[in-house]
Amino acid sequence: MVNLTIDGKQVTVSKTATIYEAAKEAGVDIPVLCYAKKLLPFGACRVCLVEVEQMKGRLIPACTTPATEGMVVTTNSDEIAKVRKTVMEFLLVNHVLDCPVCDKGGECDLQDLTYDFEVNSNRFEGVKFDLPTDEVNPLIERNMNRCVLCGRCVRVCDEIVAYGSYSFINRGFETKIATAFDRGLSCEFCGQCLSMCPVGALLPRPFKFKARPWQLKEVDSVCGYCGNGCTVTLGCKDNQVQTIRFNDKIGVNDGNLCVRGRFGYSYVNRDDRLTTPLVRKDGQLVEASWDEALDAVSSALKDGKAGILSGARLTNEELFLLKNVAKTASASLDHSGGECYKGVTEGLQETLGLASSTGTFPQVEDADVILSIRSDFYETHPVFGMVVNQAVKRNGAKFLVLSDKTGKFNKLPDAQTLLTKPGLEVNVLNAICAALLESGQAKTDGVSGVDEFKSALADYAPAKVSAQTGVPVEAITAAAEQLAGAKKGAILLAYGLPYTAQSKELAIAAANLAILSGLAAQDEAGLYICGEKANSQGAIDLGILPGDGLGAQEQLAAAAKGDLDLLYVIGEDPMTSYPDGAKVEAAINGAKMVVVQDLFLTPTAEQADVVLPAASFAEKDGTFTNAERRIQRVRPGITSPGEAKSDFEIFTSLLGRLGAQVSYTGPQAVFAALAAENGEYAGIDFDAIGPQGVVWGGDKLAPKQQVLVSVSGLQPVEARFQLVTGSALYHSGTTSTRAKGPRAVIDEAYVELGREDAAELGVATDDQVTVKANGNTVKLKAKVDNRLPKGVVFVPNHFAGTGLNKIYQGAASVAVEVTKG
Amino acid sequence: METVNQTTGKDVLLPDDTIEAFRAKAADTPHPRELIVDLLRAIQDHHGWVPDAGIELAAQTLGLSPLQLEEIATFYDKIYRQPVGRKVIHLCDSICCWTTGGEQVAELLRDKLGIGFGETTPDGVFTLLPTCCLGACGDAPAMMIGLTTYGRLTAEKIDTILREIRQQID
Ligand code: SF4
Ligand code: SF4
Ligand code: SF4
Ligand code: FES
Ligand code: FES
Repeated sequence: MVNLTIDGKQVTVSKTATIYEAAKEAGVDIPVLCYAKKLLPFGACRVCLVEVEQMKGRLIPACTTPATEGMVVTTNSDEIAKVRKTVMEFLLVNHVLDCPVCDKGGECDLQDLTYDFEVNSNRFEGVKFDLPTDEVNPLIERNMNRCVLCGRCVRVCDEIVAYGSYSFINRGFETKIATAFDRGLSCEFCGQCLSMCPVGALLPRPFKFKARPWQLKEVDSVCGYCGNGCTVTLGCKDNQVQTIRFNDKIGVNDGNLCVRGRFGYSYVNRDDRLTTPLVRKDGQLVEASWDEALDAVSSALKDGKAGILSGARLTNEELFLLKNVAKTASASLDHSGGECYKGVTEGLQETLGLASSTGTFPQVEDADVILSIRSDFYETHPVFGMVVNQAVKRNGAKFLVLSDKTGKFNKLPDAQTLLTKPGLEVNVLNAICAALLESGQAKTDGVSGVDEFKSALADYAPAKVSAQTGVPVEAITAAAEQLAGAKKGAILLAYGLPYTAQSKELAIAAANLAILSGLAAQDEAGLYICGEKANSQGAIDLGILPGDGLGAQEQLAAAAKGDLDLLYVIGEDPMTSYPDGAKVEAAINGAKMVVVQDLFLTPTAEQADVVLPAASFAEKDGTFTNAERRIQRVRPGITSPGEAKSDFEIFTSLLGRLGAQVSYTGPQAVFAALAAENGEYAGIDFDAIGPQGVVWGGDKLAPKQQVLVSVSGLQPVEARFQLVTGSALYHSGTTSTRAKGPRAVIDEAYVELGREDAAELGVATDDQVTVKANGNTVKLKAKVDNRLPKGVVFVPNHFAGTGLNKIYQGAASVAVEVTKG
Repeated sequence: METVNQTTGKDVLLPDDTIEAFRAKAADTPHPRELIVDLLRAIQDHHGWVPDAGIELAAQTLGLSPLQLEEIATFYDKIYRQPVGRKVIHLCDSICCWTTGGEQVAELLRDKLGIGFGETTPDGVFTLLPTCCLGACGDAPAMMIGLTTYGRLTAEKIDTILREIRQQID
């Protein structure tokens, strides 16, 4: 710690603090322009100049100068004011004065500082910038005439997003921020740069001329897409979400978002949202009253054999009510296709005695060794991915990626890619365990099952696995060594509907490795199990599981046989998203009655007998639990269209109709009830869930046990081509395909091929390609790039009507025929 | 010096063995960015200037992004991102040279070459560019051609320099 004096105030700060940070601590505000809390010090603008008694004769930039013992700092004097004002005058020489037509007006740092320093005229004169605006992409407008060259966009895209879209080019007056060859922006469109821009040089195009910042109602909530659980501040006006506001003050994401969170909100405003209940009459879905629709659903629930399939984007409170509905009606209940989460949780229970991540996201920022299972992790959980970027780029973490394709993660500095043939991740994880045991580096204190495990690993000697998977032996042994040497290591594994294959085996193999490398027993970080949807963890915590009833796949099978009177699907479009679409279709045809509760008339809803219009995340009050066990508040920014009701209200009405005794006043009351029933949530008070949420079980969840369990991997698929599916960065589940932002980047499914295969087939991007397997055909446009090794093709699983799930039936990879045309 | 590949007809930016040598060097240094200027100069020496394809080749050779090359290529005015004459005259356009007759020297050069700043003589021999301080202030006014700096410029001196260079080229 160091002690210093700032404007006469004594302050003690950490050795790493800058003068600016020390001043902040002392409650002294120093103006800044190029400084940003989450970026490394840069010192480009000189707005933050201060006087330091020990460094007389010149002014010192507060944002880059470390605070040292005994420093005496003055942050305001006539001299300082004069210099700061001059800096502003310089900036305003070339800056166009666009304020009346600039969307940043009202929250522009340049505007504010100009006002603060009373820069009413300019002693200097010069040419105004006159550069064309970059509008080649649909989401971010770049108007470099407004740029003050603070470099925040350049730095955030490099330091945090690790994409590197921008840099300074040219010099002197001509200096500007440019993309490669100045050809315009084309990137992952996370929008971090526009959230960092202090002026109106980078602006969200979908929000252009929609509102002035002070006209917006700001509501802090949680992103409704993935299990990352990023804070989103809804900017609402005219009962619509107009934009997502920058907010780095609360939540776990430091103001970072991905393209889905930042630009994917617009589906909630769509005109084709369901606004009234629909009931099928004479073969047609026609508008009906809530009473009619709910009576139909409740009598089917009461009288017959019912199965309920939920999605994982309902709030905890809604899931709790749903569970009560199922219990009251003795219906079977499951969520998200069943298989995808079930294997993972069972596997973790058997090994570590828990069903969640052990650490928090911020703990990964200074992890020393990170293993990502699948490079798709960046696609499924991009903002956690940005934490990994920082760990690797800024803090030098060793980074291992075990994956069947390359991608963003593999490009991080010194990333070690263990590139395996598809579906063989378990084999490689087993081999790393074998290498740990063989070399004597394995940590086996307090671990049970070691001997059985050892003998079961005979088939997974690194050399053997190497031959099978294509991962070099040295890469396997090096990975073992690095993980064994980790002081604060992290293993990341995502699960979800497109990743159902071997999910139990994968969870066990990852847990085995976490145990043997000592990661599971560490004080921080450890094993991260990240669900696909916003409340996947909540669904597991609340037990939206089959119990004694039928699981999702059993429900489908029963329905197909005509053994189910009611199939009730909530917040999910199984016709599109579940593996094995034929099975879903058979179930929908076979069930006596199908009820779908959703925002849109999805392909599943089109087949339903009753459709209930539900509310989006932006219309809800309650909580989500993210993939690091953080319970966070979801708050309504707008009201639902027409007669649509929240799942909360719908389940409450159903419970009433089913004759349940208890009724709840609101989400607080339900949360209290669910906390009373669920040990992990016990003692947490809904109203006390603060801006950082509450991580149930504490920042580090110690494993209840450490049991090694042997698991088998797969044999490689031998075929000229094999297909894998998964998540594309720009989409999450099927919902984002109805949002303008993500659609503006990718608006249809595609078949991704590596260059070598594409050349052999004579296929170029956008040519039509046919993928055939087990008698089914998928015809899509090609996308050719460098991600995929020879013989592997990828189709994202988000889009309706592609027929992908006729081919993808849940296997890790599928042998397919690929032809042009 | 082969500048066009006989079979593909494409511009050769740099011979393969030179590229390989840079690749090896880059693999050996913790900060391959150190090699950017050297590599760009090598491409320029071979090809005359650095086209977009040269930036891409350099980026790929050093394992960097094109933008990481471009920021330096455009900052450093001795790297030419546009076609130039066979010799580029960088006439100092900074304060010490201004005070010692730099503006007259500029006038002289423009006259003798018959071109303005940013232009190339019709025979393709000279391109004239202004540059900031060459660090030759003690010998102002100064200019730089290739790697040679010429100071205390006078009309006679300039004549001699231009003549000698023309002779070398022929
Ligand atoms: S949107 Fe994201 S990836 Fe694209 S330039 Fe901005 S920060 Fe970089
Ligand atoms: S575009 Fe914005 S963030 Fe980027 S340098 Fe210019 S002012 Fe700064
Ligand atoms: S989709 Fe996931 S990563 Fe992206 S903003 Fe939403 S919660 Fe964050
Ligand atoms: S804020 Fe300190 S130099 Fe810009
Ligand atoms: S000012 Fe011309 S060389 Fe320095």
